[in-house]
Amino acid sequence: MISPEQAGVAIMLVGIYGLMAKREPIKLVLSINVVSLGLVLFFIGLAYSPGKDVPIMPTNPVDPLPATLMLTTLVVDVAITSLALAIIIRMRRDGP
Amino acid sequence: MIPLMVAFPLLFGFIIVILDTLRAKKVLIKATFVLGAALPVGIFLTENGREMVGGWSRVAGIEVGIGEINAPFIAGELILFTVVVLYSLSYFDFRDKKTAKALVLFLLMHAGLLGAFLARDFFNFYIYMEIASVSAFALVAFSEEPSSKEAAFKYLVLSLLASYLFIFAIGMIYMETGYLNVELVAQNAFPSRELNAALGVAFASLLLKAGIFPLHGWLPDAHSKAPTPVSALLSGLVVKAPAYGMILLFSALPVGESLKTAAMIVAVASIFFGIIMALLQRDAKRLLAYHTVSQMGYVLLGIATFNFIGAAYYALAHSLFKGGLFLSVGSLGRKSRKLGEFGYRNAPLMAFSVLMLSLAIGGVSPFIGSYAKGLISSGLEGGLKWAVAMGSLGTLVSFTKLNYYLSKGKTGELRVSWKLSSLVLALTTLGAGLYLGAGLKPSDAIYIAAAVLTFFGLRALGIFERGVQSEAKDVGRDVNVLAAVFVTFMLAVLLLQWP
Repeated sequence: MISPEQAGVAIMLVGIYGLMAKREPIKLVLSINVVSLGLVLFFIGLAYSPGKDVPIMPTNPVDPLPATLMLTTLVVDVAITSLALAIIIRMRRDGP
Repeated sequence: MIPLMVAFPLLFGFIIVILDTLRAKKVLIKATFVLGAALPVGIFLTENGREMVGGWSRVAGIEVGIGEINAPFIAGELILFTVVVLYSLSYFDFRDKKTAKALVLFLLMHAGLLGAFLARDFFNFYIYMEIASVSAFALVAFSEEPSSKEAAFKYLVLSLLASYLFIFAIGMIYMETGYLNVELVAQNAFPSRELNAALGVAFASLLLKAGIFPLHGWLPDAHSKAPTPVSALLSGLVVKAPAYGMILLFSALPVGESLKTAAMIVAVASIFFGIIMALLQRDAKRLLAYHTVSQMGYVLLGIATFNFIGAAYYALAHSLFKGGLFLSVGSLGRKSRKLGEFGYRNAPLMAFSVLMLSLAIGGVSPFIGSYAKGLISSGLEGGLKWAVAMGSLGTLVSFTKLNYYLSKGKTGELRVSWKLSSLVLALTTLGAGLYLGAGLKPSDAIYIAAAVLTFFGLRALGIFERGVQSEAKDVGRDVNVLAAVFVTFMLAVLLLQWP
């Protein structure tokens, strides 16, 4: 079985391939989103361990830190995606 | 109290948004902007040492601090940002609806940079560096220049790819050591293959964000197409945050000899590549942007030799003179930025400032550049000392070129605050140099003479006639190539560390 960390790294590589191979700006933004999804999966996999408890009133909890870090990263991701799409719209308006 | 340095600019940024929505008076918005920019200065002058945010234990909490290494970074940030604030109050048209939004982005960038320089743990460093970068993308896209949007897009995609890989490396560090705090990581890090890989990935990502050769591809476009005050901040400050990240990284993790050597080679290559490209430029702001590539090489050279204090002072020096040069050249070249078509012939005060700043960037004593260069070379071996000296000479040749063309042209009307901000930064480079004790070195006269002679020699050979014209044709293709270069470089660094 492939672990969540390995799956995350594989997804990141797919995104990086997209950045190197696709010319369309929208596809580049999508590739960046794929990279970030892989990253989130990697971090979530880092904290996951079978048989441990949820970190709310715990006895034997999983590590909650990676998941909280990913919340922050997701916020950055949303902000950046909207900014990138806005720039693409402006590029089209000014461009040829 | 230290966390308030970050909180004030953020708070006042949001107040500006509210005031703008309520259509408040322009004076009120300006006052809020100045207050948000200036309050951190007061805290910096009164506070010192380490602090845990909220008083938690070090294992669970977030640590911030002002220490020997990050104080020069913060000082440079505060000085340059204050000057840029004064400059932008007369640069932006306040009848324009967009201006208030630009001011908010400036304050967000201020908060992000201060947060990054104060951080003592990796994740907070990343978050604040990202706040600064996001504001930078938006501010580059703010420019009215043709193809500034393309430059912003390229900058955004590449910088973001580097950021994600940097967090990936943080994840690996967390997996190996169990901590994010720099001190605790340092205590728990032992050489292992995973940490080497994390170090390689993080190093390559920060190199891209710092715009160091060979990963500088996005920098000249973004820095030259941005509005003048934004260019000054980008070149002066935003590229310093990743450099500080490299200091955190190198001080926390076991760095192998091969990575150190690689960093030194990259640094020297960056110094000379930046100078050569700058010599071939005809656009004044692009010339300055290539000098950022070159000057960041010196900072990296300091970091690679574990001379963190030297790197920090060089970063401070570079913030001051490069910020000043961008502000001066930007105000002189309002209509055209092509060398020879504008200049300071009818603006003696501006000429005085630009000359002083050019001497400072060339490392001539008694300016701060000389002191910082002395610190950097004190940690170097014989051959690399020569590289630094040759770099100084090359920088002086390139600035002889800039001043030669500037002395031929004329400029339009200049506002008092523009002249003042260049003069203040020029005098600061001199004052800081004298204060830090950069004595007068007679040998610098030889450098200047050699640089002027080399310039006229190269001009006689017709080097400057050629020039490289690089207009962005297809932004998608550019991103592909730069991403491929980045991945190749990262793989090379990873393979180099293979035991």
